Amino acid sequence: MNNIALGRYLPLDSKVHAMDPRAKIMILLFVMIAVFIPAGAIGYVVIGAFILACLFLSKLQIRFALRAMKPIIWMMIFLLVINVLVIKTGRPWIEWGWFSVYSDAVFQTLYIAVRLMFMIVLTTILTATTKPLDLTLGIEKLLKPFEKVGLPAHIIAMMISIALRFIPTLIEETQRIMNAQASRGVDFENGSLKEKVMSILSLIVPLFVSSFDRAEQLANAMEARGYDPNKQRTRYKVLKMHGIDRLGMFCSVCILGVCIGIWLL
Amino acid sequence: MSIEINHLEHVYNAGTPFEHSALHGIDLSIPEGKVTAIIGQTGSGKSTLVQHLNGLLIPSAGTLDICGFHIQPLLKIKDVKALRKEVGLVFQFPEYQLFEETIEKDIAFGPKNFGVEEEKANELVKKILPMVGLDESYLQRSPFELSGGQKRRVAIAGILVLDPKVLVLDEPTAGLDPQGAKEMMSLFMDLNRIHNKTILLVSHDMEHVMRYCDHVIVLDHGKVLQESDVHTFFEHPEWMIKVGINPPAIIRLKLMLKEKGFLIPDEILDLDALVKCVREQVMLHE
Repeated sequence: MNNIALGRYLPLDSKVHAMDPRAKIMILLFVMIAVFIPAGAIGYVVIGAFILACLFLSKLQIRFALRAMKPIIWMMIFLLVINVLVIKTGRPWIEWGWFSVYSDAVFQTLYIAVRLMFMIVLTTILTATTKPLDLTLGIEKLLKPFEKVGLPAHIIAMMISIALRFIPTLIEETQRIMNAQASRGVDFENGSLKEKVMSILSLIVPLFVSSFDRAEQLANAMEARGYDPNKQRTRYKVLKMHGIDRLGMFCSVCILGVCIGIWLL
Repeated sequence: MSIEINHLEHVYNAGTPFEHSALHGIDLSIPEGKVTAIIGQTGSGKSTLVQHLNGLLIPSAGTLDICGFHIQPLLKIKDVKALRKEVGLVFQFPEYQLFEETIEKDIAFGPKNFGVEEEKANELVKKILPMVGLDESYLQRSPFELSGGQKRRVAIAGILVLDPKVLVLDEPTAGLDPQGAKEMMSLFMDLNRIHNKTILLVSHDMEHVMRYCDHVIVLDHGKVLQESDVHTFFEHPEWMIKVGINPPAIIRLKLMLKEKGFLIPDEILDLDALVKCVREQVMLHE
């Protein structure tokens, strides 16, 4: 439970940590678009170099970023198997009776793997260097212009921040209920399918019950303090862009430009 | 056999930026067949210590001997289920562990996990229910329609039904009304006196500690600050106040009387004896 790397904030002291969340979100957005532009190997080298630089500047360990990628390994293997079986173009590498591997199958898989890897490392850098509340504040500010066309920016941001706020609580709760049920003899690791279903049920049901309880209490507490989502609220924390934020955004726009350039030319 | 804890240490999230040491070198001997209170402020390591007792946590260093099990660092306990049957752990707010459709099923869940046949488990449930003050009419009701106090009784019954030798209770009376708390405590006292169970009680309530416990352990920042029998413990209220423990009302009354010039022997801990002592002195004075 405590080993989830994806989406976890790491309290370090780095340049990237100190950046404006709005700038970080915009950089993520630009580079993300760039990742999806088919700019070939050069494009990926440029993006890869930028991501490595970010990783270095944020003082995150490569190990941490790699750990975040663990969940996609199985997906990649699955994808490789499907691609090998389906894609029969390019040069044949292995031919063994009915079984054959073509170069395109491997390249196609690599292509998707690299894209996914970039996306995961980028989002990991964002979430590891930005406090969840700063992140939602950034999102809220960035969505502000869309309020004119009826987008409830504040409500969306409040929903996200409440959801984020309760992730650690839910993890803690899960751990607690697991401990309580383990004390009643539940074995979460071994057992037949029926026992497994039962053990998961003994975890999920209490988790739902307490989550609904919590949601209701929170709603009451917010209303009791006069919360009205449609009223204008002021902020304790005011965001401010600095030189590094502008530089970062400039770099990401350049990367996007390069990728579009390679693609179009 | 008592519970022996030697140089127990526990570090959470070792090797990550979230590393946090919760227990440093706990040495304890918890007597068998007694009621032992574990007290200490939030974050003093009570819950961490308690979770070692039934193998939910494995020590980072040190050893633990409980019910014939020898627990060592970084070594998985061979038959952890057997240990959990011997040491019943009731967590804080246990009502949150209920999940079955009926109370009968929920209480029978534990025994069934330990391999008891369904019929036998249901028999055990019928036997345990009156102990927690509920009757058979509750068997087929949903645990979720009960009041908070009743839910807790059902959850505690879910542990008692396993018939553990050692019962560990983490703040069992938190959030209950005084009457409910009193009933709950007398249930535990019966378990100790009639069924001879060793009870460990994590508590903030000094009144309960004084009235019900035999032995007191004070934890502070992951260390044992004091370990003594309950009488010795409450004979030094000045020390308690110094370490931030609010003494029971009777002790505070004793302190006030002493300040006014009464001579109260240290060993007086109940109201009747105190009244007698004060009356004697007043009579003497007159």
